Amino acid sequence: MLTKFYLKTKKFPNKCKIFISEAPKNRYLLGKNHFMTNLENQIFSSYQRNPELYDEIYDQKGDIKEVYQKLFELYGEHSIEDYVNLNAKAKSSFFNQGITFQVYGDNDSKEKIFPFDLFPRIIAPEEWDIIERGAIQRSKALNLFLWDVYHEKKIIRQGVVPMDLIGSSVNYLDKMNGVDPTGGIYNHISGTDVIKHNDGKYYVLEDNIRCPSGVSYVICNRTALKRALFGVFNHYQTHTVTNYAENLLELLESVKPKGVDVPTCVVITPGMYNSAFYEHSYLAKTMGVELVEGRDLFVENDFVYMKTIRGPEKVDVIYRRIDDLFIDPLEFRPDSTLGVPGLFAAYKKGNVTLANAPGTGVADDKAVYTYMPEIIKYYLDEEPILNNVYTYHCSRPDELKYVLEHIPELVIKPVDEAGGYGISIGNRLTKQEVERVKIEVEANPRKYVAQPIMSLSVHPTYIDESESFEQRHVDLRTFTVMGKDKEFVLKGGLTRVALQKGNLIVNSSQGGGSKDTWVLKK
Amino acid sequence: MALEYSINYVANNRYENPVKEAHWQFTIIPEANSSQEQITVSFQNSLHIPHDISINGYGFQTLRVSARQPLSEVVFEASFKLMKKEVNPFDFQPEGNIEQTYKKMGGLDFKIDFEPFLRCTRLTNLPMEYGDIFRFDFSKAVFDNLIDLNKWTYEHLYFKTNVTNVDTTLKEIIEKRHGVCQDFTHLFCTLARANGVPARYVSGYLHQGNGYFGDSQMHAWAETYIPNIGWVGFDPTNNLLANTNHIKVAHGKDYNDCSPLKGVVYTVGTNETSHTVKVKGEQQ
Repeated sequence: MLTKFYLKTKKFPNKCKIFISEAPKNRYLLGKNHFMTNLENQIFSSYQRNPELYDEIYDQKGDIKEVYQKLFELYGEHSIEDYVNLNAKAKSSFFNQGITFQVYGDNDSKEKIFPFDLFPRIIAPEEWDIIERGAIQRSKALNLFLWDVYHEKKIIRQGVVPMDLIGSSVNYLDKMNGVDPTGGIYNHISGTDVIKHNDGKYYVLEDNIRCPSGVSYVICNRTALKRALFGVFNHYQTHTVTNYAENLLELLESVKPKGVDVPTCVVITPGMYNSAFYEHSYLAKTMGVELVEGRDLFVENDFVYMKTIRGPEKVDVIYRRIDDLFIDPLEFRPDSTLGVPGLFAAYKKGNVTLANAPGTGVADDKAVYTYMPEIIKYYLDEEPILNNVYTYHCSRPDELKYVLEHIPELVIKPVDEAGGYGISIGNRLTKQEVERVKIEVEANPRKYVAQPIMSLSVHPTYIDESESFEQRHVDLRTFTVMGKDKEFVLKGGLTRVALQKGNLIVNSSQGGGSKDTWVLKK
Repeated sequence: MALEYSINYVANNRYENPVKEAHWQFTIIPEANSSQEQITVSFQNSLHIPHDISINGYGFQTLRVSARQPLSEVVFEASFKLMKKEVNPFDFQPEGNIEQTYKKMGGLDFKIDFEPFLRCTRLTNLPMEYGDIFRFDFSKAVFDNLIDLNKWTYEHLYFKTNVTNVDTTLKEIIEKRHGVCQDFTHLFCTLARANGVPARYVSGYLHQGNGYFGDSQMHAWAETYIPNIGWVGFDPTNNLLANTNHIKVAHGKDYNDCSPLKGVVYTVGTNETSHTVKVKGEQQ
């Protein structure tokens, strides 16, 4: 026994070190396991429900939802200590695999593991069906919108959406006017962020169609969960998430340039210092394609080549994880060392496909979001499947009146600011602040939109500090891939958790965590 | 009378420290259009690096050279021959009803069609305090207002080299009142756009030996869109309308969209570039 342990430490010195750093607590708790009692739902004994919040695991009558029932029974056999132990193991496994991220601008920018919680979120097939159809519908509508704003611009001419959506958008690339992307696809990869409001309905918060990230965490979460809780996982008929890479590759190949038989695809990354580098390398590895940086590629006679030890190899499809303005220093930002000189000309000539297409960012502006119901109706003649958060445009007099009278119940957002600047959340304002916002909005009504305050649903989440389960707000990022006449939605997604009590911001850079998301088979 | 032009462009780049890798893009080939016909295009460099003929973001022809060998000096030389047809800038039908023209220019379709050339860019951003520096007289035709603006720009600025550069803001140009053809053109475009007229920045060559301002290097002027007439070229540096003496290369929203030479060079230290442009026109 002793020898065995010794050998193990020699063989995996790193692993052991990390494990030991977490060990004192664990060992203690492991000891306690012997006194475990089989109380039903023991690990939830201290779970407090706030009735005002929509809890994902309870139905309207306050009973555990059917899809969570089995999980409850199985977890009920264990103590919280077991759970703590398993969670710690899963975390160290993440660290050892290098699945970490860094936050820009932190002074002690240590690599952090994405906080992960073993308690999965389970989505019933009927509910998923709505999300999936809704995500496809939005991606299709946005794609048609992009085609239109870079061609005839009918939707603007007919007054359905205002001119400002392109005229004042920094993401509108006039150099894309009249360019026909292969297969007519602009947003090959979309990440749609959905939440469930306290009315039990799904709402879209954001469409991310520049370089949405997070899909690698979905797959890693699943792997970690399966390892730790196989006994629980195999009681459920859950859709796989590991088929993402093969579908992504297939759809990328479907938009190969004209005249190419078997296309060579690559993933281009800004480099190892990018916060999502792990994901870039993961996707390249699982698709079986090369991961390249700008300096690994060059352009000759408007074709793109990759430098390899066997000489230049032509590249046909580039899944780019570099923002528009950095892809080609000769056309966009001249100081960019991340891109490839001449790439845009090669793209314009149709000799290489870029996914997503340049200029796609114009459609994930906040202002475009507010017109999504109109955009869906205009291009697809359908009602939106997923709700949009209702938006009041202060530029419209009757809506302005409503906004001014209801500021404490609304979120007031400037239309042109990104990154959460200048947002006022009505119920957190003092009386004086409400008055100040009123004056500001009244003075510049065109600059503002207002939305009702959404209440994100909550899900039991294990909290380290209190060593118990607590309610935390969650959202869901879904991943949609579109190719020529085909689309794919990953049956799962990244459930992001706001780890601070009451916090609504679920971004990983803001200290959010994640959960595995199970989509059940019909 | 048509003119046959011979244009010679030489760029000499010297680098303080050896360059490991470099990419240069030249937007210097005269455009083939209704008044210009390309006869010959030749291009070479002192290091005998092969070049590509490609396009820029707006589809104008470019010459691209990528060096993958260490170098510290390189000379590029281009020669073009072209035929320029006689251009009479006043040869057009009158605009028609003035009121209707302005109404059309205020309409949504017009704004959509010419959106890129009505947009403010970093180099054509009119400072708030100068919002009224040049206002159109809406009782006059668009063309006449533009003639006034051309003259106003010519009189407001003094042609002076080496006092401004590509990063000089419009505010500084308006206040210091001097600059080169780029600055004249940016100011003209900005004010035309502020009055609702689509304006594009044009880069090209100017017939030498006529005593025009800006003829020793590549020149810049503007084209504005007037309903019922089309794009009309104005050269505010010389208070002229673009004519047979103006050889167009490319256009864009501002200088950055069509600068003659763009380079991405991997090196440290300083570099020096000198250009020589020779333009000779012979009557045919």
